[in-house]
Amino acid sequence: MRQQYANRVRVLAAVMVLISFAIIVQLTRIQNSPEAAIFRQQASNYAYELRTFYPDRGEIYDRSGHLLAGNRTVYEVGVDLSVVRDPNAIAAAISVELGRDYAQVLDAIQNPPEGVTYMVLADFVEVEPAVRLQELKKTYQKQAEEGTAGSLTGLEFKSHPQRSYPENSLASNVIGFVSREGRGYFGIEEKYDTLLAGSPVQAFVPTDPNKAFEIPRVLNGTTLVLTINRDLQAAAEQILDESLYTYGSNGGVIAIMDPRNGEMLAMAVTPRMDLNQFWNYASIYTNASEFNPIISMPYEPGSVLKILTMAAALDSGTVTPRTTYLDTGAIMVGGATIQNWNQEPWGVQDMTGCLQHSLNVCMATLSTQMGAGTFYSYMDNFGLGHLTGVDLAGEAAGRLKLPGDADWYPVDLGTNSFGQGVSATPLQIMMAASAIANGGRTVTPHTLYAMARDGRQYNVPAQFAGSPISEQTADTLSGMLSVSLESEGSLALVPGYRIAGKTGTAQIPVNGFYDNTQTNASFIGWGPVDDPQFMIYIWLERPSASIWGSETAAPVFAEMAEKTVILLDIPPDYIRQGIAAK
Amino acid sequence: MNIQHVNHLVHAYKIAPWRVQRQWIGNVLLVVVALAMVATLYLDVTSQAAIAGREIQDLTASIAASQQVSADLQTQLASLTSARVMGQRALEIGFRPMKSGEAEYLVVPGYSVLEPDILSSVSVPQLSALTIPPEYNESLLDWVDKKIVNAVGGMP
Repeated sequence: MRQQYANRVRVLAAVMVLISFAIIVQLTRIQNSPEAAIFRQQASNYAYELRTFYPDRGEIYDRSGHLLAGNRTVYEVGVDLSVVRDPNAIAAAISVELGRDYAQVLDAIQNPPEGVTYMVLADFVEVEPAVRLQELKKTYQKQAEEGTAGSLTGLEFKSHPQRSYPENSLASNVIGFVSREGRGYFGIEEKYDTLLAGSPVQAFVPTDPNKAFEIPRVLNGTTLVLTINRDLQAAAEQILDESLYTYGSNGGVIAIMDPRNGEMLAMAVTPRMDLNQFWNYASIYTNASEFNPIISMPYEPGSVLKILTMAAALDSGTVTPRTTYLDTGAIMVGGATIQNWNQEPWGVQDMTGCLQHSLNVCMATLSTQMGAGTFYSYMDNFGLGHLTGVDLAGEAAGRLKLPGDADWYPVDLGTNSFGQGVSATPLQIMMAASAIANGGRTVTPHTLYAMARDGRQYNVPAQFAGSPISEQTADTLSGMLSVSLESEGSLALVPGYRIAGKTGTAQIPVNGFYDNTQTNASFIGWGPVDDPQFMIYIWLERPSASIWGSETAAPVFAEMAEKTVILLDIPPDYIRQGIAAK
Repeated sequence: MNIQHVNHLVHAYKIAPWRVQRQWIGNVLLVVVALAMVATLYLDVTSQAAIAGREIQDLTASIAASQQVSADLQTQLASLTSARVMGQRALEIGFRPMKSGEAEYLVVPGYSVLEPDILSSVSVPQLSALTIPPEYNESLLDWVDKKIVNAVGGMP
């Protein structure tokens, strides 16, 4: 009995071993069969999917943290042709919700190019219509019979970010815009396009949850903080718009800079465009230089340039503030007669009087006394004819003709001294004048305050471009300019604040001749003189109310300066000096 | 039951032929049970890892969606508080632009003008192989393999 039992056990064990062996053999055979290879191949096809990760474009803020450029969600609406059940329903829905042509959509779905399985029907669709379409798709799915697809099956929605500008046209000339292809144009958007856009990452993403850690890390674009003060920018644009109306001007700019470090606080221009409707660009501007004239539209600045001539004369030791000369109302330079703005002699004048009365003859006298070498050397050091290096796309360099150039004539030494025959952008003049306001050092104007990425912020330091004049010259000239404004009772004066500045009235060359009736009215000024915290440049193009900068640009400066001291919390001089004395 | 009877039973057990067989069966079963436990443990760890991986995938998608919603809301908020809108609202509720002569300045000891701080949101720890300890993403076989490699590599 025991032996029989033992035999049964042995047989049973042998059978079990055989079965186990058979299972192992079968497992091995299946694993290595041709079918297994096919299955493995099929599985590997779905193990990874190629995906392109587009990082969100970096945001742009003003210096106080107001969002100037952000991102909002829009949808790409497409159709998966492999699962489409009712092309007519899809075409009808797209036609109704998105306003597309029904026949075209239907034709696209029914006659797709060979090999195409997914087709984009519409992109940059706003949230509301996209959501309505999604709801419609769900409704049709619910109405469909159990186990069958709804009429809109195959309609796909992919969300993606689109650039959005909450302030619409505010500071449009500074910010620039982004096309639907994601490329930045003009301003910050173009200058820092690479930084803002981030780098798209194309990667095979595992569908296997065990490999979730292989999901690539895509850093968003760099966030930029601008030096622009949103409220000051809004005020500048409002004042500029009102000024154009008041003085009948064709166009104009107001630029505000911190002369201590080159930070641009506001850059107002006309016309401006709503950046959310960038496709209107061609209907607003006739050429690219109109987008931001402050940096890209050189013009003959006129008498505002006299401050540079005087700075050169003082710094080179050609004159002192008390040097006098007899103004006869005309001077011959290079065979041409140069006259004062009113064609009248002004008698004996000191250098402050030259600035106060804006005497062309005086300036031409100074430049000829300095000689072309010294005069143009100073103008070159002030940066005329050179790019300022501002961090905005589309800057123009202007033109400073130099002796030896084919189109330079000896008379240019005289006319250049009072800002005719030389072209510069408003920003170039500001950069040059920053040397006078800033103790002899020119600052490089810039609009980028900081950049932030991945939780870290890098603040852009101030850059100084050179020291064309001494600190003593700068302080002396600032004082002279302030006195000249006060002496003439300039409309540019701001009660409670000591301001230094200079008007400019430049005739506009028309068909090779200067037209006395068409001028560019300008004013450059800064304050408070003992601690300059703002520098303002005004340019009104062809004002019809008056051709003189002293009657048009100067009062605009005063209005802008008054607004600036409020918005920048700059107390009147007596309070500030009282605080400093304590 | 006397001691002699007990000794007889012990002796009979020791010389029983099935005793060796049972020992064999016992040992085999022990190995089978051990293997089953390891397999169960492996299966459990693997399934948990798969669930965690799926959650990671879902959370990654959720984070992306949330960031998109956040960007939308941020832009909407900026539109609602734009300079034009705020200026308009201020005028509507009776404010007017201030003139420079109307400002009163007070000295506040220790006050300094606020400078822009980091404006981007705090960075979120990103998923990557480097940030997850190996205990959370390696399988049992990986662990055994690593130990063997280390042991072999550690030998002189």
